[in-house]
Amino acid sequence: MKKSNIATLIVFFLLIPVTLFFGSKLPGRGYYITGTAIIIELMIPFFMAFEGRRPQARELVVIAVMCAIAIAGRAAIPIPNFKAIFAIIMLSGIAFGPEAGFMVGAISAFASNFFYGQGAYTPWQMMAYGAGGMLAGFCFAKGRLPQKPLVMAVFGFLATILWVGPLLDCSHIFLMVSVINWDSIIAAFVSGFPVNLSQGICTVLVMLLFARPLLDKLDRIKGKYGMMEGENGL
Amino acid sequence: MWAAVTGKTMRYDAFSKCHPAVNFLFFVGAIGMSVVIQHPAYLLAGIITGAIYYLLLNGKKGWKTILGLLPMFMILTVINPLFNTLGATPLFHFGSRPYTLEALFYGAALASMFVIMMLWFGCYNKVLTSDKFTCLFGNLIPSISLLLVMVFRIVPNFIRKTQQIIGARKSIGKGISENATTKEKLQDGGTVLGSLTSWALEGSVVTGDSMRARGYGAAKRSSFMMYRMTGTDWILLAVMLVLIGATIVAACLGQFAATFVPAIQLAPVSWGLAAYTCYLLIPTALHIKETIQWHISRSKI
Repeated sequence: MKKSNIATLIVFFLLIPVTLFFGSKLPGRGYYITGTAIIIELMIPFFMAFEGRRPQARELVVIAVMCAIAIAGRAAIPIPNFKAIFAIIMLSGIAFGPEAGFMVGAISAFASNFFYGQGAYTPWQMMAYGAGGMLAGFCFAKGRLPQKPLVMAVFGFLATILWVGPLLDCSHIFLMVSVINWDSIIAAFVSGFPVNLSQGICTVLVMLLFARPLLDKLDRIKGKYGMMEGENGL
Repeated sequence: MWAAVTGKTMRYDAFSKCHPAVNFLFFVGAIGMSVVIQHPAYLLAGIITGAIYYLLLNGKKGWKTILGLLPMFMILTVINPLFNTLGATPLFHFGSRPYTLEALFYGAALASMFVIMMLWFGCYNKVLTSDKFTCLFGNLIPSISLLLVMVFRIVPNFIRKTQQIIGARKSIGKGISENATTKEKLQDGGTVLGSLTSWALEGSVVTGDSMRARGYGAAKRSSFMMYRMTGTDWILLAVMLVLIGATIVAACLGQFAATFVPAIQLAPVSWGLAAYTCYLLIPTALHIKETIQWHISRSKI
């Protein structure tokens, strides 16, 4: 069995149950520690799989460039909660596949927080952004969905308000909400909705305006240097 | 006094000069415990020590953040009784739901936890810079660390290149004028983004090939370590472990126990508070020790 598969099994059948068992005994906001620990443990198999297959230099550098573009997408627009980072992560997933999408999402969340400040939300952000990139890569792989601006815009909007946004709101629930019951969870999701909506609109705009030119550029590079021919996509 | 010693731009901090592992472990301990402890005495200790170290790191600017946390604290405190209706003494009724004193205190405790976490994360951001992080995890996750290092290099490179592209477009008369419409601005932005992407990706493939030609991936990579565990680091590590061990023992003995709803019950304050406070004061103590030493050695000259 591959190392990363063993790691996945250990995480799911040993680490997470143990964390849940001890986490339930912690007083106070112990559930925050438990939740964050599980989020970090869930990311371990992804990172292990990436490390385990010893990525080639080309792949590393291309992912680094996509991360930098995503971070630029967070920094370039000076309106709060209206950032192009989601769209660029999703486009990376669409162009280079689910695994690259996850890596670009997780790494750009982590790296951009060195500029914006790390916080208790960092692991959640990494997971949510990574999950967004992975979902995009999965849905558009092998021509499952056509790479048309309108399709990508609708996908980006739905993925932002129904998938990435709510995942981010979960960190808010564990971090800020005092009593976890249905009332407070619904209140947290409702209060997070306007933010998710504005992010979703930004994603739609970026997808409609820049997705096609950007994907054309990526396709041209892939053709020119003969990438995407191997098993791993790059 | 410290400002005079450290100068205006670069703030000297003794704890930041320690080995990254010591820094990282300290913050794991401080932030981890701040989430679990909800006894008011310990919360107060956490807020005071966190604020002191935050101010040492940030100087006068730090006050702004700390005062900015106050409204956050108030809001989180006041909101709690709306969701948590348990408690013996209702202050008033909000519709049919009671708004209780106990839930209000509980809200204050939870809000304090949040403030402590924000303060320590603020310090974390100042102390554990990106180079320290990659140094710490470079051996454990070599590819991802390399990825991070490359991202940190590319971002400033991008900003420079973007300005070059805009300048080049301007000089051939393709730049946007002062009173351009939104559509023109967007189109221009798209073109700049497109050429930036092309340039960056082509460059990245060339870089990748060059790395491969120079033997990247041929063997296990060793990494350059800026930091070395010194005697002070080992002593600090030992002190930290002893103090955190004492705090955990105190926690197991029930010294941190505090229930707010339905009735407020607090465990009596005991030696656990001393251990916890000493642990949180480690960076501040180092800072003060270093400053005093500096003054003594300077007065000898």
